[in-house]
Amino acid sequence: QAILCLPRSFEYSQKNAVLVPAAALGVGGMLLYCLRSGRRMETIDMGDGWWGASERRFKGKEDASIRPFKVETSDKEIEDLHRRLDQFRFTPHVEGAAFQYGFNSSYLRKVVDYWRNQFDWHKQVEELNKYPHFHTTIEGIDIHFIHVKPSYVPHGQAVRPLLLVHGWPGSFYEFYKIIPLLTEPAKHGLNEGDVVFEVICPSIPGYGFSEAPHQKEFDSIATARIFHKLMNRLGFKKYYIQGGDWGSRITTNMAQMLPQSVKGLHLNLVFIARQSLGRLIRIMLGAYVPWLVGFSREDARRFYPFMQKNVYDVLQESGYLHIQATKPDTAGCGLNDSPVGLAAYILEKFSTWTDKSFRNRDDGGLESKYSLDELLTNVMIYWVTSSIVSSMRYYKENFSKDPDLSAHNRVGVYVPTGIAAFPQEIVHVPRVWAKDVYKNIISYTYMPRGGHFAAFEEPKLLAQDIIQFVQKVEQL
Amino acid sequence: EFCSSLVGIMLLEVFLVLGTLLLYFLFSKKKEETLPFKDGWWGRGQKPVTKEDSSIRPFKVETTEEELSDLFRRLDQARFTEPLENSCFHYGMNSVHLRKVVSYWKNQFNWKKQVEVLNKYPQFKTKIQGIDIHFVHVKPPRLPEGQAAKPLLMVHGWPGSFYEFYKIIPLLTDPASHGLGDEHIFEVICPSIPGYGFSEAPHKKDFNSVSAASVFYELMLRLGFNEFYTQGGDWGWLICTNLAQIAPNHVKGLHLNMVSVSKLGLPQLLSVLLGRYFPGLFGFQDEDVRRMFPFLKKGLYRILSESGYAHIQATKPDTVGCGLNDSPVGLAAYILEKFSSWTDMEFHNLEDGGLERKFSLDDLLTNIMIYWVSGCIVSSMRFYKENLQKGIGTQKHEKLTVQVPTGIASFPNEILHIPQAWAKNKYTNIVSFHFMPRGGHFAAFEEPELLAKDILQFVDKVEKEQLWKKK
Repeated sequence: QAILCLPRSFEYSQKNAVLVPAAALGVGGMLLYCLRSGRRMETIDMGDGWWGASERRFKGKEDASIRPFKVETSDKEIEDLHRRLDQFRFTPHVEGAAFQYGFNSSYLRKVVDYWRNQFDWHKQVEELNKYPHFHTTIEGIDIHFIHVKPSYVPHGQAVRPLLLVHGWPGSFYEFYKIIPLLTEPAKHGLNEGDVVFEVICPSIPGYGFSEAPHQKEFDSIATARIFHKLMNRLGFKKYYIQGGDWGSRITTNMAQMLPQSVKGLHLNLVFIARQSLGRLIRIMLGAYVPWLVGFSREDARRFYPFMQKNVYDVLQESGYLHIQATKPDTAGCGLNDSPVGLAAYILEKFSTWTDKSFRNRDDGGLESKYSLDELLTNVMIYWVTSSIVSSMRYYKENFSKDPDLSAHNRVGVYVPTGIAAFPQEIVHVPRVWAKDVYKNIISYTYMPRGGHFAAFEEPKLLAQDIIQFVQKVEQL
Repeated sequence: EFCSSLVGIMLLEVFLVLGTLLLYFLFSKKKEETLPFKDGWWGRGQKPVTKEDSSIRPFKVETTEEELSDLFRRLDQARFTEPLENSCFHYGMNSVHLRKVVSYWKNQFNWKKQVEVLNKYPQFKTKIQGIDIHFVHVKPPRLPEGQAAKPLLMVHGWPGSFYEFYKIIPLLTDPASHGLGDEHIFEVICPSIPGYGFSEAPHKKDFNSVSAASVFYELMLRLGFNEFYTQGGDWGWLICTNLAQIAPNHVKGLHLNMVSVSKLGLPQLLSVLLGRYFPGLFGFQDEDVRRMFPFLKKGLYRILSESGYAHIQATKPDTVGCGLNDSPVGLAAYILEKFSSWTDMEFHNLEDGGLERKFSLDDLLTNIMIYWVSGCIVSSMRFYKENLQKGIGTQKHEKLTVQVPTGIASFPNEILHIPQAWAKNKYTNIVSFHFMPRGGHFAAFEEPELLAKDILQFVDKVEKEQLWKKK
């Protein structure tokens, strides 16, 4: 009987031999497909654009050369500035105003006095030229950037390309203190470990020495694409990117557009994602039971009281955003004509966005974190390039289409992301919310001090966080 | 997700409002209380012990060669930024057109001549609550036997000035010569709000519309008027409203060419959602529906796209005004943009912003020059902070109603249309409400005849009702 069973069992096992693997393959295949389609990364469409003046457009191939550039000035330029500083018409502030009505005019007088009599623009221009500058034409406009390589690279050490993107009312100049910490960390007592960068800091088109777009609708997507093209033109296939303010938005778009080119994304500001009823409820609960909604104690400390910090403070500080997103040409007109007006407008941000309590100080606390020389150099970049109006148009181009900046939040960011959360940033975004968009946060750090202009104010802290983030990415 | 959160938010709002209504009915006080007079001292430093000089001194606008050459130098050195291609007025003031305005300003505009125009009406200054108040005071050239001139206080707004009333004044002081009948003849008082034009700016914080109303109330009393009419639009609307709330027994009638309401609760929300389909249910007339809907476009979107200036002025006036007090071109761009979009929203699509369709460049530049020569742009902007800083709908005067006879002239191109159904929650005694056939925000400047006619018919109604009451 056993002999009779044998052939049958052999047949049976043969069937199994075929069916089981087949079934396994089938199920496994389906599983793989589900997993992959769930993780299938949507990307933002790259698109294309052309931003030069219409009459300059021709069908030939665009000039892709990279031309060295030096910042220059003239006596005429400085005389014109001095004349305008001399003729400034001053309005006395109300008694006890400090910085609550905006820039305090008594302190402004001191700044203007320094600017007129001690600030040395020739010397600052030399300072600006200490790093190599370049221009290259992309999509019809001249893109300005600085490109700093480490002066000495030990044999066998990899140099990682890092793109740093500024915001408003900043410029490439904000990165001047952090650049040496990234190209030569060892020299500045920053670790151990072999992370060394070559740094590229472009100016957003319409800012500083980058040509302003002549066409409408130049937004962060167009900027992201142009910066990808720039890195490509410089010969980089994969690179790290870092940003705050508009730089955060642009680099995020870059990661959403071409994730395969972005080794890692580091941000010192996260834009708040779309609000919903669920989030509203979580906000209300979070004030009493933060752990229930995924807030850490530090999150709760920075985030609450909610109305004060997220609604009232934001309304208090977003007037500029509202007018620039609707009437940039009006808002910027007088500022391009009055350097003192320009300085007041820009420096007010360097006061309040560095520390909110500076609003109550007669001098806005400006010189407690920055020197007048570096603050005025940034202002001068806007002044000598006459770029204030085009810099403001960026708000309209981005906000008009997408009022709460949420259109691309559905396209997640899957590249390794590092977030440095500074305590005096305008609004605090907890990690649990950042995860809505940034699906692959491998480092989230509560920085001990510092505000919105992180690279400018706390270059060492920011550099340390970037380096530890990149080290983590390299180990992945 | 958007739909469900919208519904969720609506539900939340419904509960909140119902809850508030419940509390309100439980704890409501009579809303007909008057607004207290707001005394203050706005001069520099400490209030002196000696009694304030209350004399009324004649005033004349003056100019100098130095002032003019300084202006021309700044116009010459203006730095313009090219507009984006095909942007018209969508990004704000178009700099190509601005160049043309500046060229006219330099080469054809005659400030000396305009100063003479300004001085054609008698002007005065008097110190009230520590600051010099400037005002125009025009009496009728002739009065029929036995008739007294009715005092009328007219208050301007931002970015306007007392000059906005120069075309309407003769229609009110001498209506007969302009074909308007002589039953009602006015003597007109147009003050400058403290911090605007030739009125001194307050040196202390907290000078808001109630402060301005109190100052103007003192002014009218000092001029010897016990009863008077008030008229206003823009900030003038709020100041005159406050004045009617402070002194209802002295304000015979309140006429407004702009109305705003700060109490937007469930009834208003429902009427926005459903008013288009059931206008009768919410007290909307056909013209209301035509002007208000589609609400997203004409209400919400318009407010958001036009209120950037208010937002920044209500938070950082000293910052935003700083450059404008230094660059006359910047000042002109900022102010002219309002004279374009607040006269007709469609002017956005014109390359010249439609500026000269309703106003002459001379008139527009004269108004701007008042801001320039007095250096008042920053203090004019502070008024926004003092009024809006604590939030809309939070102040006492916003919760009180107005019982004084009110007339409303509703102009079609006003920034936001408020229907009578909403206005009457605050203005409980609306004697006349008319849809004007044309005109925008700067009613007195743009359509003086239409506005004058509406004021006259309103005053007529008030006077007749008073007579009837006496009988």
